[in-house]
Amino acid sequence: MRNKFDEQLEKLHVELIQMGALCEDAISAAAEALLKGDEELAQAAIEAEREIDQAEREVENLCMKLLLQQQPVARDLRTISSALKMISDLERIGDQAADIADLTRHVGLPNGSGMLHIADMARAVIGMVTDSVDSFVKKDLDLARAVYAADDQVDALFEQVKQELIDMLAADATYGEQGLDLLMVAKYLERIGDHATNVAEWVEYSLTGVHPSNN
Amino acid sequence: MTKRIFRSIMAVSLSVLLASLVLIVGVLYGYFQDRVTAELAQSTAYIARGVESQGMDYLSGGLPEDRRITWIGAGGEVLFDNWQTAADMENHGEREEVHEAMLLGRGTASRYSSTLSQKTVYYALRLSDGSVLRLADTQYSVWVLVLQAMQPVALMMLLAFCLALWLAGRVSRQLVEPINAIDLNEPGDEAPYEELSPLIGKIRSQNRQIQRQVETLRQRREEFNAITENMSEGLLVIDQETRVLSHNSAALKLLGCQRPVEEGESVLALDREAGFRRCVEEALAGRRREELLERDGECRRVFASPVEQDGVQNGAVLIVLDVTEKEQREALRREFTANVSHELKTPLTSILGTAEILENGLVKPEDIPHFAGNIHREAQRLIGLVNDIIKLSRLDEGSPAAQWEAVDLYRLSRSILDQLAVAAEKKQVTMTLEGGSALARGVPQIVEEIIYNLCDNAVAYNHAGGSVTVTVSDTPEGGRVTVRDTGIGIPREAQGRVFERFYRVDKSHSSGGTGLGLSIVKHGAAYLGAQVTLESEPGKGSTFILTFPKIAE
Repeated sequence: MRNKFDEQLEKLHVELIQMGALCEDAISAAAEALLKGDEELAQAAIEAEREIDQAEREVENLCMKLLLQQQPVARDLRTISSALKMISDLERIGDQAADIADLTRHVGLPNGSGMLHIADMARAVIGMVTDSVDSFVKKDLDLARAVYAADDQVDALFEQVKQELIDMLAADATYGEQGLDLLMVAKYLERIGDHATNVAEWVEYSLTGVHPSNN
Repeated sequence: MTKRIFRSIMAVSLSVLLASLVLIVGVLYGYFQDRVTAELAQSTAYIARGVESQGMDYLSGGLPEDRRITWIGAGGEVLFDNWQTAADMENHGEREEVHEAMLLGRGTASRYSSTLSQKTVYYALRLSDGSVLRLADTQYSVWVLVLQAMQPVALMMLLAFCLALWLAGRVSRQLVEPINAIDLNEPGDEAPYEELSPLIGKIRSQNRQIQRQVETLRQRREEFNAITENMSEGLLVIDQETRVLSHNSAALKLLGCQRPVEEGESVLALDREAGFRRCVEEALAGRRREELLERDGECRRVFASPVEQDGVQNGAVLIVLDVTEKEQREALRREFTANVSHELKTPLTSILGTAEILENGLVKPEDIPHFAGNIHREAQRLIGLVNDIIKLSRLDEGSPAAQWEAVDLYRLSRSILDQLAVAAEKKQVTMTLEGGSALARGVPQIVEEIIYNLCDNAVAYNHAGGSVTVTVSDTPEGGRVTVRDTGIGIPREAQGRVFERFYRVDKSHSSGGTGLGLSIVKHGAAYLGAQVTLESEPGKGSTFILTFPKIAE
């Protein structure tokens, strides 16, 4: 009986890794699509989002089955409950990646050095998503904590991008629509950063039993 | 086993005890019944005497009440009964014992009494007047006697039972103890019971066999590990649930995983890139798959194959190869092919165009030499290019059919400078040769090719009025040729690439040349084991230093 339980827990672990990997794929594809204006990559990001939704339902089912049939306690219960929380954050990451991909279809990145920071932001956010999934895979507490620190950096970058867009619009109002779309992209990226932080927090909770927001 | 033996012993002792009990009861019963009858006869005779002398008075005169006394007249009518009212009783003449007594003088019977509704023993005696005196005693008294006699017997039996209980426990333990004491891992030579010797022997031989097999398996495993550990290819064996069953350290290194793999960990925890995941999924679905993973400029090729056993798929084997170098070479080759086609096409297009104009007669006769000269120049360039490519590919194959010999670098440099004198004069570049004789071992054609290309470049990429200085020296490391020019120099970012095929600092191709010269230098030097270093500053000039390996004495 226990053996079966362990097997199912391992399966949960694998499915979460797969879901995390899908999120990484989605956000990288969306960012590439944004930076290179690649229609195919944008499509790939939207496809990945659908797969992520599917994965979320599967993991959810598995968690429910584990909770009902095995009645886990202590650490196992923590693992499963944090998995349930993590998948909703991962699913949001997938959604926002798809939203970015959708926006890139009609927003080209204007040629200009002013937009460089949105690329930096995308890179930082991809790094955060990768690190948060990595911290889960490797059960690495330090890596999870590094993700919180990176979030501050992403927030600062968001402010910077916002200022750049304001300057751009002030200088030339013809880029109005593009500027607003880019602001939304930046906001989505910033939100993805927040979700990655949440994932890292749940990793910490599942490892230590203390959620960092309680400190 | 102890319990079983205990139970058997207990069952045997209990049945023996029970059997003896029954036997004893049987014997005692017969004995006591006889005794009861004898006592009855005695009492009857005694009372009979009293009745003979005193008649009814004796009977009613307070005889003990513990036995039933009946006096029956000669006609069978009951005259007296001390337990019942005589008048109410029916005629007893036909009762077995009475009848017998009337006929024979005395009679006994043991039957069910309808009067007392009990099993009863009777004794009847005929008196002198023909009447019959009968005494009755219940069978019950026999049982009371038997039971009384049985009490000590039962006590004995109980003691015997307890003793049996204790002995059975002890004996069964003693029997089983030596069997339990056998060390199954290393049974001694002596079996505790003869009957067990074949079993012990079998266990011993099987133990040895198991040990041998375990040892063989361990050795095989060690061999397998040694082999896989020494493979530069990464090897991973996974089961249907993606758990890693076996892996070598190369696999972890190639997948960029620094920590050791935990027991039962999923392979996806090691790498979760999309391509890798596809490989794993496909292989576990029973299809072979091959993917190229690129990460941080490193290329890995992953081959995934399903593993089947008896027609059931139960895992997959993944092989990870480092193909970074191969991919880079492949990229270089593709670039080279594209460059070659382009470089070959440029002069050909020029020749074709010129020839077409000539063919159509659009050229004035006096212009023909100019056009023909054009064709000549382009054709020459084409031949130069093809020659260079041939030289390069020979160097690539590493098999120029040439003899290695000692080459005098100074003399060789002198002749090269002579060959280039015309070109240098045209560019107004002065060439000087310094230093002295130095020897190097090598293939003369290749050495000449290298120095020629260096000097040719030094002249070609020079300013008018510049100079080229070739210095030949014999250093402790070996013969050295230094070619220093005062030319245009090479920008720092291009210095790493000038040895690449068809790479040109000046993309406009205005300076002529094939773009293969320095590539020939690099490959030639590599073939001869010589070192080429470059120092350059844009606008001031470049210095190429060619150092040959020292000639072994």
